[in-house]
Amino acid sequence: MDRVRKLKLVLWLGVGLALSVAVARFLFGLGATTNLGDANAWGLWVGFDVMGGVALAAGGFIVTAVVYIFKLERFHAIVRPAVLTAFLGYAAVAFSLLFDLGLPWNIWHMMVYWNPHSALFEVGWCVMLYLTVLTLEFFPVPAEEFPRLSKVRAVLVRFRLPLVLAGIGLSTLHQSSLGSLFLIMPYRLHPLWYSPILPVMFLVSAIVLGMMMVTFESHLTAFLYRRKPETEVLASFAGAARWVLLLYLAVRFGDLAVRHQAHRLIEAGFHTYLFWFEICVMALVPLVLLSIPRVRRCTAGQWTVAAMGVFGVVFNRIDTGGLAHLRPAGGFYVPSWTEVSISLGIVSAAALLFLFAMERFHVWEERPADPAADPLHAPEFDKVGTTWLGVPAVASRTVYSLAVILAAALGFGFLTAQRAQSRGLEPVAVHRARGGEVLWIDGNLDGFGVAFKHAEHVKREGDKASCVLCHHMNLPHDENSACASCHRDMYQAVDGFRHDWHASPAGGNIACYQCHTRGQVRTASNAVRCDHCHKDLVPAKAVIQVKTYHTVSYVDAMHRTCIGCHTKKAAEKKKPEMVQCAWCHKESREILDARDIDLRRRGASAGSPVLPPVGQ
Amino acid sequence: MRAAILTDVTKCIGCEECVMACKKTNHQTADVPRRWDAGDGLTSRNWTSIVSGPAQSHVRKQCRHCLEPACVSACPVGAMHKTGIGAVVYDAAKCMGCRYCMMACPYGIPRYEWDAAVPYVRKCILCYERISYGQQPACTEICPTKATIFGDRDALLAEAHRRIAEKPDLYWNKVWGETEAHGSSVLYISNVDLSLLTDGHAIPSDPLPEKTAVAMGAVPYTFCGVLAVMGTVNWVIGRRIKLQKENSDGQSPKT
Repeated sequence: MDRVRKLKLVLWLGVGLALSVAVARFLFGLGATTNLGDANAWGLWVGFDVMGGVALAAGGFIVTAVVYIFKLERFHAIVRPAVLTAFLGYAAVAFSLLFDLGLPWNIWHMMVYWNPHSALFEVGWCVMLYLTVLTLEFFPVPAEEFPRLSKVRAVLVRFRLPLVLAGIGLSTLHQSSLGSLFLIMPYRLHPLWYSPILPVMFLVSAIVLGMMMVTFESHLTAFLYRRKPETEVLASFAGAARWVLLLYLAVRFGDLAVRHQAHRLIEAGFHTYLFWFEICVMALVPLVLLSIPRVRRCTAGQWTVAAMGVFGVVFNRIDTGGLAHLRPAGGFYVPSWTEVSISLGIVSAAALLFLFAMERFHVWEERPADPAADPLHAPEFDKVGTTWLGVPAVASRTVYSLAVILAAALGFGFLTAQRAQSRGLEPVAVHRARGGEVLWIDGNLDGFGVAFKHAEHVKREGDKASCVLCHHMNLPHDENSACASCHRDMYQAVDGFRHDWHASPAGGNIACYQCHTRGQVRTASNAVRCDHCHKDLVPAKAVIQVKTYHTVSYVDAMHRTCIGCHTKKAAEKKKPEMVQCAWCHKESREILDARDIDLRRRGASAGSPVLPPVGQ
Repeated sequence: MRAAILTDVTKCIGCEECVMACKKTNHQTADVPRRWDAGDGLTSRNWTSIVSGPAQSHVRKQCRHCLEPACVSACPVGAMHKTGIGAVVYDAAKCMGCRYCMMACPYGIPRYEWDAAVPYVRKCILCYERISYGQQPACTEICPTKATIFGDRDALLAEAHRRIAEKPDLYWNKVWGETEAHGSSVLYISNVDLSLLTDGHAIPSDPLPEKTAVAMGAVPYTFCGVLAVMGTVNWVIGRRIKLQKENSDGQSPKT
């Protein structure tokens, strides 16, 4: 198996894995397949797929500008691969947006509902328009293969200059507008990245990346297809890249100095290290390497610098898109494997399309042959399965199909039901009541709770047989019954009138007609009221009026009836503490001190910290 | 009238009646802790929450309904909208789920329905329907200690300053929401520092949408400028090449 087929196999594996994850993404939603959250609403799919993808496509407008505007004909050899990359890059961006958007079927809303104040509105329109321009720019290449399309091709070639101009204009806007996206979040982006001139920085770094990407591609395809790379042409590109890198560094550090943020460069901390790593890989080291003429002119040097630059600028986009955000509240964001596999799958698909276009159309000066399509190539046996795979073209297809199916199956295997359907619920651990027997239960962690006497409950309900009354694993999200499931009168309204007792001979022993009207269907509405018999039920000046047979819960009875009067009396007696919780909830006040609350907040609540017996 | 809410942190007893009233009014179901919660009690089902502050204080967190809302300017399809009365409301029919509003909000308020296959953005809408019927929001109506009150923004600002002037020892001499990010419809007075609601940042008074407006304003000029420069360069270089060619063909070039 040669290099191309090995690479294609890996790429097909990526596509297969992404296919299975894509199914889960659309069936179960973003929460089940990503590590995104309310504190970090954007993640890898924005930072890498969208922002990185657009930046990777920058080669298109730079090379078309060099060849068609500056008319430097010696660069003509790299125009078509650059435009193809840009086209595939933008297509990948548009495609990956479908995964990241919560409601991807509404993506067309951008065309109908306008909000020109939004930076994302500009980004969206640039993607749409530039993708159209790129399609028209690249279309003449496949059209060469089909004689019937020659007229369309001729028209497109005639309008090449306006297309190129529009492409350059749109790219300038788009590369910079990705920076504008972050202008509105100065409190979110770390000051080493946030700057009012982020759009300018994004444009300059995109130019760097465009050059690096074209170089990288040329060398990669040269390696894969054993083709001669355009080293000499690319050397002059590398020469120009030096100055752009220098400009970028000047803008980046100059901006830090002007904003008086330069001191942050020497602070110790995650963001400072991240910044230095990024700036070294992205600009400093490539600049040093490119300044050495020997490195600039040799294949290995170009290859190294290009790989570094591409990684560095994409890393910069990931940083700006999420890694360099300040998020003290929501914790650290690490993409889930499902997010990574979707990103890699989209890149793989784009790379496969690139290889396909290269083998099928006239993209490079000399078209590399698909080694699998060579009719003189000997038929193959699979070494492992000793199966007849047929001629190489058929053999490849068999192997690739197998790769997709296997990877998809693997993906489905990993997407466990728990991950896909857990709906983000936090698992709760079950603990034995350790040490003492009085548990402090404070469900909503507000510092107020009840002292639950476990031993008393066990004794009352009948020793070991009683465990299952509360502890059972079959309740959803809950390892035990809530207190209210037994203590119904605590939070639930109850039927205060016990009909069975009243009617029973052992109880009230009252005949039906004594309460219900004779000859009618006996319902609550035609029964007499409680005070018909219980004359003393409602004293003359009672606060509580009997209206229905249902009584409010214990909590409501206390709070609703007490608080109103307390508020009044507090004002009358000028004792504001009368309306405070602790005036009545004296027990809570004694038990709680700041240390206890702090202990519970730090997650000790799951382990039910044991408190000294009440009253000590 | 510009609808507003004034929350006096010193009066709040943390009973969470406002949270329950909000749930009831907006037909929200019960909530359990989720992996994607931000940890401040606000979720797609809890549009307001009580955050514990220092010195046993309780601070109600909710949408600030900014006068110059960052979310409204950020939304690419205009799903976020500032109504005439002052509420920032959300039109789910327009939303496409980009979550830029969540990233843009300086207070980190909008929440997403992460568990849904068809998710929407959720946040406090200042009960704008109730307001338009002449009622007040559910949270201010239910509050047992009148810690959070509803009214006209100017009147509430005056009230806030009156309370601060009355008890200068108790309150910080600052009305949160008066000027921050050009002011908001939800105001706070407090005996503790409320930067805990913004992760410790103090938010300056310049409106956030203006930061993007500079870049967005430059768009047409940049586009036309780039086209003009590139077109001119193309023309100049093309002419030079043509002249050079004519020259090398032996014809004398025009000077």
